[in-house]
Amino acid sequence: MFGYLVRRVLSALVVIVCVVFVVSAISKLVPGDIVDMMEAGNPGMTEQDKEVLREQLGVNKPIFETFTSYLVGIFKGDLGNSTRLRSSAAVLIGERVPATLELALTALFFALVIALPLGIICALKQGTVVDYFGTILSVLGVAVPGFLVGVILILVFSVELQWLPSTGYKGSVVVAAWNALLAWDFSILWDRLRYILMPAASLAFAVVAINVRLIRSTMLEVIRQDYLQFARAKGVPERTVYLRHAFRNALIPTVTIVGLQLGNLLGGTYIIENVFAWPGIGRLAVQSIFWRDYPLIQANVLIAACLFVFLNILVDVTYRLIDPRIRYARR
Amino acid sequence: MTTIETTESLDPPVSAAQRFLSELIRSPKGLTGFVLIVLVLLVALLAPLLAPHDPAQQVLGARFQPPAFAEDGEWSRVLGGDNLGRDIFSRVLYGSQTSIMVALLVVFNAMITGSILGAISGYFGGIVDAAIMRVADFQLSFPFILVALLLLAIVGPGFWTMVFALSVALWVSFARLVRGETLKIRELEYIQAAKSIGVGHAAIIFGHVIPNVLPTIIVLATLDIAAVVLYEAAISFLGLGTQPPTPSWGMMISEGRNYLYENYWMALGPGIAIMTTSIAINLFGDFLRDTYDPRQERL
Repeated sequence: MFGYLVRRVLSALVVIVCVVFVVSAISKLVPGDIVDMMEAGNPGMTEQDKEVLREQLGVNKPIFETFTSYLVGIFKGDLGNSTRLRSSAAVLIGERVPATLELALTALFFALVIALPLGIICALKQGTVVDYFGTILSVLGVAVPGFLVGVILILVFSVELQWLPSTGYKGSVVVAAWNALLAWDFSILWDRLRYILMPAASLAFAVVAINVRLIRSTMLEVIRQDYLQFARAKGVPERTVYLRHAFRNALIPTVTIVGLQLGNLLGGTYIIENVFAWPGIGRLAVQSIFWRDYPLIQANVLIAACLFVFLNILVDVTYRLIDPRIRYARR
Repeated sequence: MTTIETTESLDPPVSAAQRFLSELIRSPKGLTGFVLIVLVLLVALLAPLLAPHDPAQQVLGARFQPPAFAEDGEWSRVLGGDNLGRDIFSRVLYGSQTSIMVALLVVFNAMITGSILGAISGYFGGIVDAAIMRVADFQLSFPFILVALLLLAIVGPGFWTMVFALSVALWVSFARLVRGETLKIRELEYIQAAKSIGVGHAAIIFGHVIPNVLPTIIVLATLDIAAVVLYEAAISFLGLGTQPPTPSWGMMISEGRNYLYENYWMALGPGIAIMTTSIAINLFGDFLRDTYDPRQERL
């Protein structure tokens, strides 16, 4: 396990160094003069500002020097300054990472809580109305993009029913949940939860659909196993057969897959955050592209990449711990 | 002699087209998808004839005009008018051109590049293989949207950048698929035989390897087309893809998103169009996979 972890971290470091190289080379890859391009998105730059920027982005330096100076900057915690927001890019993104993570994790939670029972029921009641519903859902999940789900949800729950706000963010739900528990006043929690419900649901939709399909087929596979027949033959009640024997064994592959979907969910936040004006890194990324704010784009890509790589390691290690069959199998 | 003849198939020879049609007619899923795809293609081709109005023409009186089925709606503008008084129905029709063009261009690029790189990688092995596959792995460690956004940031938002970015994001799946199959085929006897009689590398790759993987490639390409329709819509929704005045379904939904409270119909037409197209291609792709490539299980 330890050896695996070391290998995994080392290869992750290589990936990160490659990302740093690509990111630092942006100033060379942009067609034309990058600083003149940035002026278009940030009017009112003086010649002096431009010189500072050229220095910061390493426009006039050879590509390898640009790379090393960016790398040195990373170790000092300096990812350059946003030209638009006029403050440290690292700080700006650091402030927004929690909102993005919270959205992705809430979506993951939804995906599990909805897909698990639905998938199991579909498998147990194969060929019934519930099963058809599950099939339709899984087709829709692949075919309807998240942003459209978001717009439909806004139409139903904000415009028609007026239950939930269509955009906005009032702070962390986790913090609110803690405060609500302390004060035993759940209106604090609801006050923030209502903002995350629709974004998380639109983000989770595709994943729910995939999972229902997956859990259904895993469960069907487990149901056909001999040990279930044996349990029945022993006289174990049907309920116990399903809950103790079938469900437990179907759970492991499901948890594995769901963990791996965290990456997809994080990718989805880049779009969903823009539907609901959620103040995360995805929204900032799209804004910074419009602003042609290259230092901010660089920092955004770099931090997002680190986040993905780190989460992937975390998920890999976790499922190795959960499932002994994977732990002992060599890749 | 007679014994040899009886062991051969008694059925009359069936051409590929006949087999396709007979399978298609038996599959309600495939047939629905196929009919809808033909419909969308026809709409895209005939958009100039079908559209009742110029999709870019702004008519002041038609601003926020409700659709025909709502109160105050008129049949001359079936799906109503948008915030600039353009006819939504005509824009949806023209939007299909954008969607289909992007999807075909991207999948074609990704398929050609990915298949060739995959075949080279699997056939030659060694350093070439390692180099190509490391790039693929590197790219796969991030969600496609990050790769696409990075490219859009570098080149600047726009239609062709989007096509380029999506092609770059999608070649990997083709490369991995073809590489895996090539590794298997490479060891087969007829390839060894071809090599021994001096057939060149390129002739083996294009004459033996690619044709063997073709059914799998086509299934993947079909399903990828559905994915690209959604990606195009998503990137245009963010405002980074198709630029106005060219109509794009994703962009129309994004414009409609700002007026949902008063004028929900701005998002209605393009939303239904995206869903229909994507469901159609997915159904057809599923059918193709079930028929021609039962080994592949989709997650």
